[in-house]
Amino acid sequence: MNKKNRAVVIVWILVIVAVLVGIILTNKQQEKHETVKEMMRDAVLHEANHISFLGIKDINPGLVSAFVVTAGLLIVAVLIRIFFIPRLKRIPGKFQLFLEELVSFFHKFAKTNSPHSNRLLGAYIFGAGMYIFWGTIFELTGFQAISTKGHAITLPAPLSDINGAIALGSLSYLVILSGGLLKNGIKGLGSALKDFSMPVSMSFRLFGALLSGVLVTELVYYYIGLSFILPILVGVLFTLLHAVIQTYVLITLTASTYGEVTEPREKK
Amino acid sequence: MRTLLNIDWQQILLHLFNFLILTLGLYLLLYKPVRDFMEKREQYYHDLDQQAKEKNRYAEELGLSYKERLSSVDVEIEEKRTIAAQESKQAAALYLQSVEKRATKIISDARKAAEKERAQILKDAQEDIVLMAIHATEKLLAQSDSESLDLFLDVATKGASK
Repeated sequence: MNKKNRAVVIVWILVIVAVLVGIILTNKQQEKHETVKEMMRDAVLHEANHISFLGIKDINPGLVSAFVVTAGLLIVAVLIRIFFIPRLKRIPGKFQLFLEELVSFFHKFAKTNSPHSNRLLGAYIFGAGMYIFWGTIFELTGFQAISTKGHAITLPAPLSDINGAIALGSLSYLVILSGGLLKNGIKGLGSALKDFSMPVSMSFRLFGALLSGVLVTELVYYYIGLSFILPILVGVLFTLLHAVIQTYVLITLTASTYGEVTEPREKK
Repeated sequence: MRTLLNIDWQQILLHLFNFLILTLGLYLLLYKPVRDFMEKREQYYHDLDQQAKEKNRYAEELGLSYKERLSSVDVEIEEKRTIAAQESKQAAALYLQSVEKRATKIISDARKAAEKERAQILKDAQEDIVLMAIHATEKLLAQSDSESLDLFLDVATKGASK
């Protein structure tokens, strides 16, 4: 090992030691304000930690996450629209290919599951897919916010808030209902109404799936002994995996049910 | 106030509002423009493909028509060749006939001329003979007596009148 490499290794070791010392010294303060039981209960019910929404109302951290994710996605979309989309080429580059694949994936998904009517469905599952995926990935960024009690809290995935999950589940069902009504009239509406348990099942499936990720990650991070190396596997891989799975599950359920209710009825 | 599972309708509506804005924004800013671009590009290549197919079909049709024309040209050439052969045969026959006529006429003319010439020659010869005979007689008469001469002259005149 030459001198330069040795110096780099020594600097890295010193940085790691300094971070470790910092973590150990500050850990007590972090652990003090709630026990693991309280923390996990709060992750489920959001009873303790609220964030003030423009001084009007105390809201769950999940809603703040939803606003942040939406703002982030819209800013990126505006930048792409202004600087990239006008320069699209017939023979695509890497980023254009990525963008086209992304849009094609949702479009084809909608077309395959609902061949008779898929314009609204394509747009909806594109929005929902982006929201669930990036909302779940957002959990990894560790954005901090100050609660009404004055504690710093990490913003969770928007859909780990039951209100967010209910909103998305119900809206998916509304989209299915409206698709059935527009395509097949009262018969389509009736066909969609038969699956009345769908908004509840969709909402709680999303909520449960996202919450389990949050709970496992919170648990791992809570104990100092588990806070090294393991979060890389548990946090990152688990989050990435369930981001993809939940996106796929919701868009599949919505698209297949939408396809069923918009299928043309045979006249007797 | 604690609610069941901390479900708050106002927050649900805020989530809905937030999500609707996001979906509409993503649709207008990303989904629609990219889809439009892809559809236009698909249409462009589809048109290109159609044009190529059209040209290909046209070339095939042209090739077939040329083949047909080529095969009909062979038949046409054969027909024309046959007609030309027949025409040349007829022309040759006509020519031969006219040549034969001319030859016959020439021969008959030549024969007539020869006959005429022969008759003339014979006539001239007879006159010459008569004249020679007269001369000879006159010479003889001059040399002999007049009695025998008169006798001879009577005989000669009788012979000439015959």
